[in-house]
Amino acid sequence: MAIGTVFTMIIVAGTVWGGLATLLVIALRKERRKKAEKTDG
Amino acid sequence: MAMPEKKEFFTTRWGMILSVIGIAVGTGNIWRFSRIVAQNGGGSFLIPWVVFLLLWSVPLIIAEIAIGKSTRLGTVGAIAALAGKRFAWMGAFIGFVSTAIMFYYSVVTGWCMNYLVSSLSGTIVSTSDHVALWESFTGGTQPLLYHALAMAIGAFIVYRGVVKGIERTNRILIPMLIVILLTLAVRAVTLPGSLQGIAYLFTPTWDSLLDYRVWLAALTQNAWDTGAGWGLILTYACYARQKEDIALNAGLTAFGNNSVSLLAGITIFSAVFALAPGDGISELISGRGSTNTGLAFIFLPQLFQQMPGGPTAQVFFSTIFFLGLTFAAMTSLFSMIELAVKVFVDMGLGRTRAIVLVSTLGFLFGIPSALSLTFFENQDWVWGIGLMVSGGFISFAVIKHGADRFRKEAVNAEGVDFKLGRWYDVIITWIVPVQVIVLIVWWFSLAIMDYDAQGWWNPFHIYSVGTCLVQWGAMIALFMVFNRWMVARTFRTRKD
Repeated sequence: MAIGTVFTMIIVAGTVWGGLATLLVIALRKERRKKAEKTDG
Repeated sequence: MAMPEKKEFFTTRWGMILSVIGIAVGTGNIWRFSRIVAQNGGGSFLIPWVVFLLLWSVPLIIAEIAIGKSTRLGTVGAIAALAGKRFAWMGAFIGFVSTAIMFYYSVVTGWCMNYLVSSLSGTIVSTSDHVALWESFTGGTQPLLYHALAMAIGAFIVYRGVVKGIERTNRILIPMLIVILLTLAVRAVTLPGSLQGIAYLFTPTWDSLLDYRVWLAALTQNAWDTGAGWGLILTYACYARQKEDIALNAGLTAFGNNSVSLLAGITIFSAVFALAPGDGISELISGRGSTNTGLAFIFLPQLFQQMPGGPTAQVFFSTIFFLGLTFAAMTSLFSMIELAVKVFVDMGLGRTRAIVLVSTLGFLFGIPSALSLTFFENQDWVWGIGLMVSGGFISFAVIKHGADRFRKEAVNAEGVDFKLGRWYDVIITWIVPVQVIVLIVWWFSLAIMDYDAQGWWNPFHIYSVGTCLVQWGAMIALFMVFNRWMVARTFRTRKD
């Protein structure tokens, strides 16, 4: 595969799937923290 | 007298996010995305597509969730509450555009259901002429029966309620859709020759990247397939819990939607290059029948016949493909029904009566599209472009309310995980309206110069400027006449 193809793949798939994965991890952490706070409370 | 509406809320963050992703992920992610990528130079299209995900989809989804959550009203009441009561007609227009799309989207859902049945029975993989199969189906009365079935299922799910109907169904269908797409993707990328398809999808060319038409196609794709600016996400957000986050959930929705598109693109490009290495890409670009439907109902079924593994594997993969397409269509249809129901409920109609009214009207006004592809294409053109006006009206409502005030009070409300800065004011006040104007000018100029140079003004032509202006104008005039009445009905029992 040409370097431009690999570069675009990294940029596009990285942004879209990487962005989704990052947001999912943040949301999961927030949910876990809220659950823990509720249990402690 | 109508019973007061029982207040319902999505039970969890994931229930709400899956339901909102159900709105965003529709047939457009699967059949339109791949064709538009192919027509616009593969990788060159994907770069502006990611840019407009951030400049169109995310800001408008944030606005919709914040408006719905803060007003707890459907499109008419929400826009009136935000921009002022004399602008309720704008909310009615937003609601009507999505409802007009519902009329024919139910027909599309019916097509998917019919092809699911045909796949299961083996007809799809055994027929020798897919064009004839498609034409005999759409030329008969079967689309009407499937349209009625789709509308009945949609109405039943909405009747079950937000939690037991919409949330519970989306919690099952959306994960199943993702599993189906992943299964198809794994099969497609493991076919010999699939790597060339993936290379085509991600290879950019400088000529295309510098072509303004590729950028406009990417903006249009984001405007149509994320559900941003339709009023549907605003409607679901009315049922968000008070402590529910806005920016993070909007990001998850927009990125989740585009992730599905990318997965579908990889699957289709891999399959096309592996199974139809000669003229596959030109088929994908040109399409047959109506361009989008030609891909899904004529070209892809031909590819399933070429799949290795014999008839059993071919029936299995074509069945799960149309099952996924049906799920994608159905979960979007629920939200379109709910949008119209919510507007009527706000105006004092009981929920059950509103569902019966909306589904009956949905069935009746969908009949012309079920029986005539010409009528269907006209409605898709008129209300597809109308969605861009809807996006503009949402942006206008935020500007009228004060973007800074909206951000501080509605978006950065108490309990949210992420607070947005002043950059959001700039995007929603300047960048979104400029995109709306550019898009409408672009599509109208295409109609004038390309689609219908002789009759672009004629309201009776399918793809004319005249048909858009007359149909939009008629509805806007009607809603302006009834503006006071709609406001009086919507706010009659509310202290605000």
